[in-house]
Amino acid sequence: MDPYEVEFIGENRIVSIIPNFTYDKIYLICGEFGPFRAGLPMNVPLWLAMMLKQKQKCRIVPPDWMDLDVLENIKEEEKRSRFFTKMPNEHYMVEAKLILGAASEDVPNAAEIKTIIKDIWDIRMSKLRTSMDALMKSGGGYGRLDHLTMMEINSAKPLLPSAMDYLLQIQMKAQKKVTQQSLLNTSTFSQSGSSQNT
Amino acid sequence: MDLIDTNIALSDEDDEEEITAEVVLKTLQSAWQNERLAPEILPHRNDMVECMLGQIQHMERNINKLPKIDLRASIHKMELSRIKFIICNYLKTRINKIEKYCIPILNEERQRMETGSNYLTPTEFKYAQEFVMNMENHVKTVVLSKMPGNMQLFEMNKMAEHPNLHSHVFLKANETVTGIVLEDLAGEDEEIDLEEGSQHILQYKPIADLIKNGKVQLI
Repeated sequence: MDPYEVEFIGENRIVSIIPNFTYDKIYLICGEFGPFRAGLPMNVPLWLAMMLKQKQKCRIVPPDWMDLDVLENIKEEEKRSRFFTKMPNEHYMVEAKLILGAASEDVPNAAEIKTIIKDIWDIRMSKLRTSMDALMKSGGGYGRLDHLTMMEINSAKPLLPSAMDYLLQIQMKAQKKVTQQSLLNTSTFSQSGSSQNT
Repeated sequence: MDLIDTNIALSDEDDEEEITAEVVLKTLQSAWQNERLAPEILPHRNDMVECMLGQIQHMERNINKLPKIDLRASIHKMELSRIKFIICNYLKTRINKIEKYCIPILNEERQRMETGSNYLTPTEFKYAQEFVMNMENHVKTVVLSKMPGNMQLFEMNKMAEHPNLHSHVFLKANETVTGIVLEDLAGEDEEIDLEEGSQHILQYKPIADLIKNGKVQLI
């Protein structure tokens, strides 16, 4: 999947906004939202929040976790733990990117928050690389990845599954050789349509 | 004015069940995600696609009645574009797979049709048949007819490209599933459990059925 598709899925998350206009309830296919009351907070999907923000029809209420203290704790926890910690939000990176991109004036300390989220992302990515390395070296065909968010998994996609596919192919070839005991059999390395649509 | 029937009657041969548009959308989105990430073609969800297309048409008619500058109109249009994107991308992904693996898909589909558990919609099946036919004709006119007589045979099965069912995929368990057997080449099979909400990377083959019955979701 492309990152923009992951972002597209993340845009379905519900966020809180404060509209500056008053309107009745709106009945969308993905659910009903509203009524819109000027100055009162309400919940809408992220894509709608972004659209209203671009039309300057609302302010965005930063999610609870988009706070320096909370993020500082997450960062420390992430550094301390050998494993991935649970993120406050399944799509934290998408939400942070969109909200800080379009509505940084609605978030207190936006610049610091941006840096700290980037730090958390970097720590997690380096952990991910280390564990991918360990997984490959152990020759395993199975791994558990709890608490990784979709964007993080997606960033491992061009590499990890196809590396595991090749490893399996090599193991299968080796197995065949051992069972057949036929050293003269020079088989060409065939590439069977591995990992498409990633 | 309501732009939407929140309840859609989904007529399914014998039993008529009522589901909300919201549920249809959720089902479509997870079908799209699975189809994008699975190596082989999955059973079609044409019921959901048709149902959503009807809903979109209905809403577009109503939106046209609203004044152009109405905020509601632009919100609804935006949502419809998002849904159309999912549907288009879903159908395109299926067509790509059908073209790539047309020969094995057609062979397997013919067997499945006997048991009534077909994966392709009738239109997709027709498309696949025509695609193979055109390919055969093309190869025959361009190459084979110029070959010596004993080399003119079109060997369908040698042309076939198969999806790699051993490829590795990421998944999230929607519910707890126990006793997934991971084959090990050394003969030491490993058994694992997928707890609800947990995420894993493993081979597609042992979990293919779990995707088809919705117990796991590819991510």
